[in-house]
Amino acid sequence: MMNRRISRRNFLVVSGGTLVSLAAFGCGGTGGVQQPEGETPEEAEGRTRVVFWTAFDAKNGEAMQKLVDDFNASQEDIFVENQFQGNYEETAQKLATALAAQQVPDMVVLSEVTWNRFFLDDTLEPLTSYFGGGDPDPEDYVESLIGEGTREGEIWWVPFARSTPLLYYNRDMFEQAGLPDRGPETWDEMREWGQDLVRLSGNPKAHAFTAAAEYNAWFFHGNVWQWGGNYSDENFNILIAEDPAVEAGEFARRLIHEDELAYMADNQEVDFANGLAATTLASTGGLGGITDSAQFEVGTAMLPEQRNFGCPTGGAGLGILAAAPDERKQAAFEFIKFAARPENVAFWSTNTGYMPVTKSAQESSEMQSYFQENPNFKVAVDQLPSTQPQDTARTLIPNGDNTIGTGLERIFVSNEPAESVFQEVAQQLETDAQDVREQAAGRV
Amino acid sequence: MPRVRVGRDKRAEDGGAKKHRVQREHLLFLAFIAPNFLLLGVFTYWPMIYQGYLSLTRWNMLAPRKTFVGLDNYASMFGGVEFWGVLFKTFYFMGTVVLGSVALGLAIAILLNQRLRGRNFVRSVVFAPVILSGAAVGLVWAYIFDPNYGLMRTFLEPIGISSPDWLGSTEYAMPAIIIVYLWKSLGFSVVIYLAGLQNISKDLYEAARIDGASKWVLFRHITLPQLSPVTFFVVLTTIINSFQAFDIIAVMTGGGPAGATTTLIWYIYQEAFVAFRAGTAAAAAIVMFLLLLVIAVFQIRYSQRGVHYK
Repeated sequence: MMNRRISRRNFLVVSGGTLVSLAAFGCGGTGGVQQPEGETPEEAEGRTRVVFWTAFDAKNGEAMQKLVDDFNASQEDIFVENQFQGNYEETAQKLATALAAQQVPDMVVLSEVTWNRFFLDDTLEPLTSYFGGGDPDPEDYVESLIGEGTREGEIWWVPFARSTPLLYYNRDMFEQAGLPDRGPETWDEMREWGQDLVRLSGNPKAHAFTAAAEYNAWFFHGNVWQWGGNYSDENFNILIAEDPAVEAGEFARRLIHEDELAYMADNQEVDFANGLAATTLASTGGLGGITDSAQFEVGTAMLPEQRNFGCPTGGAGLGILAAAPDERKQAAFEFIKFAARPENVAFWSTNTGYMPVTKSAQESSEMQSYFQENPNFKVAVDQLPSTQPQDTARTLIPNGDNTIGTGLERIFVSNEPAESVFQEVAQQLETDAQDVREQAAGRV
Repeated sequence: MPRVRVGRDKRAEDGGAKKHRVQREHLLFLAFIAPNFLLLGVFTYWPMIYQGYLSLTRWNMLAPRKTFVGLDNYASMFGGVEFWGVLFKTFYFMGTVVLGSVALGLAIAILLNQRLRGRNFVRSVVFAPVILSGAAVGLVWAYIFDPNYGLMRTFLEPIGISSPDWLGSTEYAMPAIIIVYLWKSLGFSVVIYLAGLQNISKDLYEAARIDGASKWVLFRHITLPQLSPVTFFVVLTTIINSFQAFDIIAVMTGGGPAGATTTLIWYIYQEAFVAFRAGTAAAAAIVMFLLLLVIAVFQIRYSQRGVHYK
């Protein structure tokens, strides 16, 4: 008879209560966006807390944390919390789901590819007005770099961890093989020298290409330009199935499968540092890590040419989320200011290998003496003026990087002819371009 | 007369009380199912319905508006080669894993059903991988498979086989994933088979032996048929679990190289969270849902009829 005691009123109270609590659980009550939680230390109490989602781990992650710690130590009103989210792609995935769930960070590290998506869907804060006081001076940033983050006359994406691909070579192996102490100037020379390199003890490969997950479409962008081709033009016309790009793909296929001088590494930085390949292309942002872990003399060079020189810019910048409350947006921008001070740009750059993004930092005595001591890094800075922003197929077409990258894997691993692979890739890019063509019209 | 009236009134009263009681029982029933139903509704039914709706749209998960496209997502999925490849890989994975779980699971169970020394220890060892985290297992096996310094190379080289680049080649990546998945999940079917074996009446064997049956005949005509309900259970659970094999693929290959280990669940993840094509991802998820539904219906029908030896 126990059950009979539940009266209608009790029932309504219980079920109503359940509904309300579920609704509260589901919507977060207020309807506004929430800030993600984290481990905020006591010292942060009473300060404006800024949640900063970053994409740097290992050596670069330590430098990131140091920069944030220094900022917090310089501050009494603001506390920036560095929350590592995985690589650029994973960070973007989490940000997209966070936006859907209305629990968003205030500031985020976005790559040259991922920021476009958030820009086009109006989730980023236009920042030009924040630069109002001339601190930092937008003109101080390297023009091409700040230019990439400027659209419709507004700055949306501030240069921070910008990089370019760089040719890394194992100087010890080059010496053993009797080769000059420089990178090959052309891919033909790479092929020629490769014959000597693969004969060394330990049977290294002459060159390591890399997997889609390690952004092979970014590295190969250089190759396509070097052969005189393009992934696409600015109007989203797909050019990857045209002759020059196909020739670049065929050269790579032959280098791997016919000459047997190269291969596709899962992670080319790791393989290169372990002596499995005599040369590879990796980001300038990998310089710190590779130099630390390699047991040999690391050399760097500008990318090999073929018909032209070609090298894309890449890496990440900082964006502030439009959905954050004004107070936190202002606070987040204080960090951007801090990061743009010459000594901090120099600290970040020298510890990671990312480009010094401001002119004042490049000219600083700290940076100049670092160039002197680290010719490997100087190469990256020397190469910078010859670099250019990437084709829209990779940066703007949804999933373009992965579509091209998976196609490259088929050439690198499965020995499929570049022509048929690139035709399929072009078809997919064409389909995916439809979504963005309208959205991007007049905006990019 | 008054008595009759009283009687009538009483009956009417009784009826009213009964009606009231029935109502109250309905309410009570609602009260009991409400918490569960709400949870199921919010976390299972609603997402499912929403998923169906999403599969009819094109949406990048960020834009405020979703474009309704009807069945376009299904049409382009089934119209292209990629999705058929994904389905093929899904069934290849599932089929091999099911065969392996049944054959190896039964073989190991029979072995461990003998009176051997250290039997309990070995049983625990066989079951241990089941409770390990898939991500950890994937990481360790990625090292084992490494063509340059992996354990596999150490094993294969002395017998004159050069270890292939397991995870870096399109031919070996899927077998490698299957090996790891089997290694990790085999303990489950072993335990189920062991229980099944111990449920078979000894009398049957004794009677057959008296009739002069050989070991093979015992196995073929007593053990196997007696185990058929167990086999049925193992096959179904393995099928359903294999559809959800995500962690090992995520850690070891990321669906690669060149899509060689992209099964349906990885494809869904890839479409949703890498390509941000919520529509296609939802459509693929609906396909997976329907496939699993068919299996579930099959399971219910057969388990009602009962799978028994004849």
